[in-house]
Amino acid sequence: MNDNVIIKTENLCKYYGKDIHALENVSAEIKKGEVVVVIGPSGSGKSTFLRSLNLLEDATSGKVFFEGVDITDPKVNINLHRQKMGMVFQQFNLFPHMTVLKNLTLAPTKLKGMKAKEAEELALKMLEKVGLADRANAYPSQLSGGQKQRVAIVRALCMSPEVMLFDEPTSALDPEMVGEVLSVMKNLAKEGMTMVVVTHEMGFAKEVADRVIFMAEGSIVEQGTPEEIFSNPKDERTQGFLKSVLNV
Amino acid sequence: MSEFFQTLQSDFIKCFITKSRWKLIWDGLGATLQITLFACLMGIAIGLVVAVIRSTYDKYGKEMRNPLGKALLSVTNFFCNIYLTVIRGTPVVVQLMIMYYIVFASSRNSVMIAVVAFGINSGAYVAEIYRSGIMSIDQGQVEAGRSLGFGYIRTMMYIVFPQAFKSVLPTLANEFIVLLKETSVAGYVAIQDLTKGGDIIRGATYETFMPLLTVAAIYLVLVIFFTRLVSILERRLRNSER
Repeated sequence: MNDNVIIKTENLCKYYGKDIHALENVSAEIKKGEVVVVIGPSGSGKSTFLRSLNLLEDATSGKVFFEGVDITDPKVNINLHRQKMGMVFQQFNLFPHMTVLKNLTLAPTKLKGMKAKEAEELALKMLEKVGLADRANAYPSQLSGGQKQRVAIVRALCMSPEVMLFDEPTSALDPEMVGEVLSVMKNLAKEGMTMVVVTHEMGFAKEVADRVIFMAEGSIVEQGTPEEIFSNPKDERTQGFLKSVLNV
Repeated sequence: MSEFFQTLQSDFIKCFITKSRWKLIWDGLGATLQITLFACLMGIAIGLVVAVIRSTYDKYGKEMRNPLGKALLSVTNFFCNIYLTVIRGTPVVVQLMIMYYIVFASSRNSVMIAVVAFGINSGAYVAEIYRSGIMSIDQGQVEAGRSLGFGYIRTMMYIVFPQAFKSVLPTLANEFIVLLKETSVAGYVAIQDLTKGGDIIRGATYETFMPLLTVAAIYLVLVIFFTRLVSILERRLRNSER
């Protein structure tokens, strides 16, 4: 396998019952340092695809390789691999019973054996970067949506992951808060983080993505540079989708 | 009026002072608290294990990939269901007598037997309380924990239980209060608890009013005290949320 490929899927299928095919033979590669944005109509399987990458979604068949290891193999300790795959959710999923700081230090201290003080310093440094150092001792319920999502991003980053997975990170936000979250993500991309982003933010895709994947009905229909996809979509479904989201 | 108080006074002396009968109440109170406390701890431990098995089975039992784990989970879940059905389907007095006369027939440590009987009984109810708490926690919390790299058990420990515990605390406290009062049937197996202590005084003095109302009042004070304690705890825990 190519050294640059960090995640690779092979013929990933996900069926619910017999009739619902959420994923149909999805094969894709994510290279190190690449920002891949996955777009598509709702129900196209893009979230399912993203969630299969760290096995939050158990694929019915097919394989997922992470750093060359087949993590769909039941013998693999998935928890160790997940430590290197940060994930950000649409609903933030911060831990409401802990302060922001505790949210950030929990995993590094418990999973990586980091000292509490060291983890706190790291967390504060990261919070500083997203402009939230003053909220370290707040509880999630005291934060706005945009602040919650920035904390959630930092929580994943505190584990120093190799790749970050974003599952519609701005879809649950009020419009005026979308910008602050996207700008954090843009900075992350600039720093060279490998990112897979499922989003409806076409502006972000155009500006930041190295590659755009368009999915429909559980399959990858088309992929290419933002230029290729947005200016010159080949498939009819891509054209139809872009027309409907860009002309609103 | 003064006559009434005089009778009251002489009744009081007869019931509690003569032959140091207050000791029956005092020692009985000790036994009651001892049984309640340890049975409660036992119930919480049993309840936790049963609730985890049941909720894990409900959520993941059908889609687990490891065949050995799946079989193990199904079997333990099956036994948990039997436990819940039997314990919740029979009266606690009968369970207590079965423990005393059959299971621990050779032991005369009746307080220990009562702790075990009430603990096993309470565990069944606590299990269902916990389970409802675990089920009420948003699945996203589990996913967030797992995505960070925590295994299932540790996700439960750090993320789900603390939140679930908080949401079931009032119900759990209620179960503790029910348990406290339920232990009053311990007299059936020759334990001198609070109720039995009062009853012994009644038998010895032929006074009904004084010993029984005193016992009732002590239970009432205990319940009020524990209710207050829990509401303080609840308020402290709530500080972090909403």
